[in-house]
Amino acid sequence: MPVDTKRIRGPEESQSPLLFLSPGKVPEASSRQGVRGNGDARPVFARCGLISQAKGSAYLEAGNTKIICSVYGPREAERKDETDMKTGRLVCDFRLAPFSCLKRGAWIQGSEERDLSQTLQESLQPGVCLHRYPRSQIEVNVMVLENDGSILAHAVTCASMALADGGIEMYDVVLGCTLRQSGSTCLVDPSYSEEYGSWQEGYGEDQGCVTVALLPNLNQVSGLTADGEMREDILSDAVRSCMDGCHKLYPVLQQALMRAVKKKAPPPAK
Amino acid sequence: NSHMYVCERLCSTEDCIPGTGTYLRHGYIFASLTGYVLRKNEGEELPVISVVRETETQLLPDVGAIVTCKVTSINPRFAKVHILYVGSTPLKDRFRGTIRKEDVRATEKDKVETYKSFRPGDIVLAKVISLGDVQSNYLLTTAENELGVVVAHSEAGAQMVPISWCEMQCPRTHAKEFRKVARVQPEYLQA
Repeated sequence: MPVDTKRIRGPEESQSPLLFLSPGKVPEASSRQGVRGNGDARPVFARCGLISQAKGSAYLEAGNTKIICSVYGPREAERKDETDMKTGRLVCDFRLAPFSCLKRGAWIQGSEERDLSQTLQESLQPGVCLHRYPRSQIEVNVMVLENDGSILAHAVTCASMALADGGIEMYDVVLGCTLRQSGSTCLVDPSYSEEYGSWQEGYGEDQGCVTVALLPNLNQVSGLTADGEMREDILSDAVRSCMDGCHKLYPVLQQALMRAVKKKAPPPAK
Repeated sequence: NSHMYVCERLCSTEDCIPGTGTYLRHGYIFASLTGYVLRKNEGEELPVISVVRETETQLLPDVGAIVTCKVTSINPRFAKVHILYVGSTPLKDRFRGTIRKEDVRATEKDKVETYKSFRPGDIVLAKVISLGDVQSNYLLTTAENELGVVVAHSEAGAQMVPISWCEMQCPRTHAKEFRKVARVQPEYLQA
């Protein structure tokens, strides 16, 4: 396990103050914070073009989840054996800031983050026209500033907004949506307590979480991640609900991207 | 006629010809960039539809393109360069290139000495001959009259003036140094 050697640890007898906190109450599945139903996603705030050094960037907020993404490229690819002469490469880096979760995380990328990076790369790759950038690589860096549930789905959305803002040619933007099934209720776009709360009681049937990455104009699913035990019919319903959620998210994205393009330059004169 | 589109379906192939920033799928033209849609009548039957963003799309060095590069190191067999400009557009990231000994000149290729053609720090105009394979960088050539060293500094530190195609002179010490000089067109030279 990678260990953070740069921090000075306290004396050996010291314990984290979080151990002494009383465990928070698990909210009931039927009462959602705010006034949204089980099938509604949280309202999304999206802006592009905030990082000036990067080629493209995007910031996304959904409830309390805050994600920022920056895109660099196309750059000369590092000469590894898998370099393909005809297409470019997409390199994704998914990071959770140490202050993003309740428990302080490490600066070094853990195995879960590497897993999420790989999933992110697989979901974004079908959307980008890599054959237009031979021998180059495009770097996507996603950082989660605050983790309040469904980070992978919102990271996919944020990353494709940043790619579009950076002028990288794409077949379509990739949108993500998560669904959490807990017993008989299915919650779209769960918050952190909804996503992780019930699993502390133990794994069981009808407990699962599905994340879908969708290309809305082409109606193709580019990424599907499922965790837990779910029945087959509920799983297919879940995927369909996620796809609906993605389609509902699309107009917000379009507006944010158009706003960014307008800000960069006025329409070309005829 | 300039609306904005975000990776959406623009029109079918019967109406327009696809231009830059678009792709074809199932007989329809889709936008691949977010930007302004331009429809131009280029004199052919159908107008050309393209999606433009205000910044020039990053040009990657392509075969046959004239590039401006800076020499980083030399070797009896080749010179390594950093490609800075493609045509007249600067690149945001540097690409690496190689000029082999036999590509420096068109004549007397085997008698070329790289030490007498380039030095580290020179600005060179070259042409891309190949994208290279997995192991090597972009392959460049200066084997034309208009290609070669454009700006070079002498060992004393002053910018040198070209005398002939193979020599440059330092204005301070009047020492002559060997370089493979480019014959720049008169209209590009500043007084």
